[in-house]
Amino acid sequence: MLAVLSKKERDWVKSVIKEEEIERYMQNGRDFIDDDEIWEKLRKNVKPDKKRIEDIIQKSMEIQTLEPDETACLLNIEDPEIWQQLFKVAKDIKKKVYDNRIVTFAPLYCGDLCVNNCLYCGFRRENVVIKRKRLTLEEIRRETEVLAGEIGHKRLIVVYGEHPSTDAAYIADTIRTIYDVKVKTKNGYGQIRRANVNIAPMSIDDLTLLRDVGIGTYQVFQETYHHETYKKLHPEGTLKAHYQWRLYCHHRALEAGVDDVALGALFGLYDWKFEVMGLLYHARDLERQFGIGPHTISFPRLEPAANTPFIQQTKYKVSDEDFKKIIAVIRLSVPYTGMILTAREPAYIRREVIPIGITQTDASTKIGIGAYSDRYTDQEEDRQQFILGDTRSLDEVIRELAQMGYITSFCTAGYRCGRTGDRIMTLLRTGREAVFCKLNAVLTFKEWLDDFASIETKKVGEEMLKREMEEIKNKLPQNVYEKLLEYYERIENGERDLYF
Amino acid sequence: MKSSLNITKESKMAKETFIFELKEAFNIIADEIKREYNAHIWLIEVLGKRYSYIAGCKDDSFLPPEFIYISEKFAVASSDWGKLPIEKKEELFSFLNKYVNKT
Repeated sequence: MLAVLSKKERDWVKSVIKEEEIERYMQNGRDFIDDDEIWEKLRKNVKPDKKRIEDIIQKSMEIQTLEPDETACLLNIEDPEIWQQLFKVAKDIKKKVYDNRIVTFAPLYCGDLCVNNCLYCGFRRENVVIKRKRLTLEEIRRETEVLAGEIGHKRLIVVYGEHPSTDAAYIADTIRTIYDVKVKTKNGYGQIRRANVNIAPMSIDDLTLLRDVGIGTYQVFQETYHHETYKKLHPEGTLKAHYQWRLYCHHRALEAGVDDVALGALFGLYDWKFEVMGLLYHARDLERQFGIGPHTISFPRLEPAANTPFIQQTKYKVSDEDFKKIIAVIRLSVPYTGMILTAREPAYIRREVIPIGITQTDASTKIGIGAYSDRYTDQEEDRQQFILGDTRSLDEVIRELAQMGYITSFCTAGYRCGRTGDRIMTLLRTGREAVFCKLNAVLTFKEWLDDFASIETKKVGEEMLKREMEEIKNKLPQNVYEKLLEYYERIENGERDLYF
Repeated sequence: MKSSLNITKESKMAKETFIFELKEAFNIIADEIKREYNAHIWLIEVLGKRYSYIAGCKDDSFLPPEFIYISEKFAVASSDWGKLPIEKKEELFSFLNKYVNKT
């Protein structure tokens, strides 16, 4: 790919942004991120007293979204003991909303061509060391066969660069291809049941096209909420330079009827406390305008990438200690949301922060284009957006999670039976979704153990399942337990995809 | 002669109006059914693998839902079909069939 855009690329770039699909959501011509107001709140809420913090904790425990002043208070806590208390509360909230399950998924990168030139990104247009490639539908089918048939994933996050060759029509084709794959496994069959997408901001028409092919969650990270920093990192004249086109893409998705949207910020670009405030304002604006908040929030930290010196130079790198605080404060601020921790982080960090409120994580992760079916094992800088911190297999991660007391879930039931949009919001806020989480975790974990687990992991997993079944028997109505037992036995006999 | 852009806009608006009216009507029916029979029903739009919530009860019992399709695009889900008398179920689907097929 050339550093200079071709005429076709330039024409495409000009056609993407639709100003009227930004302005309709703004108030008095302004977006909902007021940088001065955020700083003012962070300044005003220093040294919060214990009573105030207890009141905020109580509100979070009632699964209510916090006010910006309240989140600012939490971000300003200095006492290490109170932070420990917050970590414990974050864990309790996660248990209340989602129980002890961790959903797993894998990323599938379909292309690394990109018209943008973001200073921190390995895939930026001017980074000539990257090998550029867009997968064909046949290559995507092969990738999916490995993911669903050999590793056992049921849920993907499918990732694309922003480029005319990976536009909405291509994305729709890839999603259809992924959903069509069905692979025979040891005792049943493997299939991707939910394909979430990490893609560029799009128009309502394009998002409607993606909704109609049945995408799962629409995930777009704002990268940084700080206007000036955003401007510096996304050079003028590039598509991504338009802050508000990106900021309102989830609004457009909800308007298009994609009723699960996911937020995120890339930590390390600007002050971490500011970014957490930005995420909160974003969630609140979605709630205000649509009654639906983010399905998940992600909080990736900058990781090294090929020929990308910005990453070493940034002064906003987030320490491990602050990373834990970020996770806890997001968990308390938007208590109903799913929270994603990825394999960017090394295993020791994942072990430490999963208990603070994480609901989803990836494993057996490869982010090179075509990497699953190529079966290459080492990380290759020139075909990856960044370098991963944890390349352990799904089997290893599942075993470790089980030893930590977490049941791995491959559940994709919610979005296939109408637990989406404001309905899922209600179920999450009332703690009722946790019951579905538990039941579907048991069934999907059983499927995975039967089809893919190593002997060692199967042993640990089956012991865990026994405990989970016992808990369900004691907690839930008899008819629910009986239905679970029936489904469990049917899965043992080779049936797949049974869910509550 | 209308331009294709206008036709697209008109059909989009017609679809929005249809969904809005369907939601309103379904919410009233779902409330009534919940009140009278303690049965939770909800309406979904079928979008490939995605079954998106449109209207109706937001909570339900914890049993697996069963779907009754009104058309290729719409279905009603419930874990409580057994609680509904047959005639009520027929009345519900007769109304929804007419409503969806009329549009």
